[in-house]
Amino acid sequence: MEQLRTIGRELAMGSQGGFGQSKEFLDLVKSIGEARSKAEEDRIVLSEIETLKRRIIEPDIPKRKMKEFIIRLVYVEMLGHDASFGYIHAVKMTHDDNILIKRTGYLAVTLFLDENHDLIILIVNTIQKDLKSDNYLVVCAALNAVCRLINEETIPAVLPQVVELVNHPKEAVRKKAIMALHRFYQRSPSSVSHLVSNFRKKLSDNDPSVMGATLCPLYDLITVDANSYKDLVVSFVSILKQVAEHRLPKSYDYHQMPAPYIQIKLLKILALLGTGDKQASEHMYTVVNDITRKADTSSNIGNAVLYECVCCAAAIYPNPKLMETASSTISRFLKQSDSHNLRYMGIDALSRLIKLNPDIAEQHQLAVIDCLEDRDDTLKRKTFELLYRMTKSSNVEVIVDRTIDYMISINDSYYKTEIASRCVELAEQYAPSNQWFIQTMNKVFEHAGDLVNRKVVHNLMHLIAEGFGEDDDAVDSQLRLSAVSVLDHFLFT
Amino acid sequence: MVIALNSKYQAMNLIRLRQKLCPNSVSLSLQWQIRFILLQNRQGKTRLAKYYVPLEDSEKHKVEYEVHRLIVNRDPKFTNFVEFRTHKVIYRRYAGLFFSMCVDITDNELAYLECIHLFVEILDHFFSNVCELDLVFNFHKVYLILDEFILAGELQETSKKAIIERMGELEKLE
Repeated sequence: MEQLRTIGRELAMGSQGGFGQSKEFLDLVKSIGEARSKAEEDRIVLSEIETLKRRIIEPDIPKRKMKEFIIRLVYVEMLGHDASFGYIHAVKMTHDDNILIKRTGYLAVTLFLDENHDLIILIVNTIQKDLKSDNYLVVCAALNAVCRLINEETIPAVLPQVVELVNHPKEAVRKKAIMALHRFYQRSPSSVSHLVSNFRKKLSDNDPSVMGATLCPLYDLITVDANSYKDLVVSFVSILKQVAEHRLPKSYDYHQMPAPYIQIKLLKILALLGTGDKQASEHMYTVVNDITRKADTSSNIGNAVLYECVCCAAAIYPNPKLMETASSTISRFLKQSDSHNLRYMGIDALSRLIKLNPDIAEQHQLAVIDCLEDRDDTLKRKTFELLYRMTKSSNVEVIVDRTIDYMISINDSYYKTEIASRCVELAEQYAPSNQWFIQTMNKVFEHAGDLVNRKVVHNLMHLIAEGFGEDDDAVDSQLRLSAVSVLDHFLFT
Repeated sequence: MVIALNSKYQAMNLIRLRQKLCPNSVSLSLQWQIRFILLQNRQGKTRLAKYYVPLEDSEKHKVEYEVHRLIVNRDPKFTNFVEFRTHKVIYRRYAGLFFSMCVDITDNELAYLECIHLFVEILDHFFSNVCELDLVFNFHKVYLILDEFILAGELQETSKKAIIERMGELEKLE
């Protein structure tokens, strides 16, 4: 059935010239698809490149044909070959007045080039002109290009125009203008610091997409300086409440959840604003509880929102009811033995709550151990992170032993180093006895010796030489003897 | 004895201790950023590659190869999230195609997973029951759709209707 459908589609495309493409292009794609080896595919592509090189410099090529050549160039590059000879033609296409040709030019240029390319200079002028166009589709295409190709140096050339577009009658333009400003902020914070009021104003834009777009730069700004935005807590809570109560247009629903991505962004922002601030947090408890209650637990997106609620609860000033709700969410995630994704999220959420409620780990011991022993490496890795966070003097021996065993099985040296240094850190902090400490350090050196920071080894040697501050000299020298003999074994084998 | 031990070591590890006590503290401002999106088939052929961070061509090839190797043989029962270098790749398989998204900070992986699904739903709507060939022959349109969905590495628009309408306006001109 699948076969018939694809054949039918091919025939249809072939006869109509395939959505505007020529037969040559279709043949190219087909022959690449049918190639039986990489070498054959490379040959076809290289021959296509030669053809394009020849034909693209011919005089008086009709615009539609040029558009097709550029698309073929994009295709060739996507397959991993170099089409840089054609970049200049893509740039030229952006100058064209016809929106379709211009649009294809912009698309090609955003795929071929990046913000540091030399050819950008040739495009900035066109972008400046297009940002002022009467046709909002042209403005949108230019804004798309801005988001990709403008860097710190070229920001001043387009900034004033982009700022004006934040108030454009078309919501698509406003939205893209906000995202462009956000990108400017990421590249060069000082360039837009005086424009922050724009973001604040657009938070109350009529169009939910524009409001949603404003959350991106606001999140970054709040991350850097939460205090200046505490006055917005009430607004954010109010927006979140409205979204959760289905007051946005139905088109923002996704799998029965109302604008879940906007909810998630808002929860992240509230988490930042409520951290360590009792007053701010008190505004949030009700709405977060409500969302947790109403979220659909059977869909991925519902669980994604629930997870974000737990993260928020863990970050803001603690509230017992919220903690309880968070805890039951985690329980539910961890009990899903057939869903690795949910167990993973559960472990992550657990490690966030640990610092607020250390007992919570005990409640889920069995589930955690199951995750620890799972074949899924990603899940195991996440669980070891949890163990690291919940280590204390009473469980350090078990945890460090387990972690060392895990460390031995790791192949990736970057990750192995990370785990080795974690073991060292935990051992240093919570070691119940000097003896255990030395034995543990030796095990780490034995299996990851060349990865451990030299400083650690040096410190250990220093300590052995100086003694452990023992009052009893006999005990001290006994320890030194045992330490030396263990190290001796290590150094000379 | 234990107390003396700890105080000596704690002095050496003050910074690490602080980091451990504040695991949720954020110091980077580039959160919620998508680094790249890939569509690859089972053989590793790239059907779509969109990068939101600057990368050399040779780097891109390496990345595409590594990501494919990472996900193609992964047990479908395992998580849809894998570590990739110092980032994370969220992926999902639809028929013969792997959709993958590389993100900067590990944060709400489920939401990104559904992001991928939303994108597939949009493609399905636009191409009326999409299949791999649609994406191959119309890859430039898929890029245009993607540009309406994600911009500068951030989710731009989450209303399917809005995106389809925007594409409709462009189609009318063709």
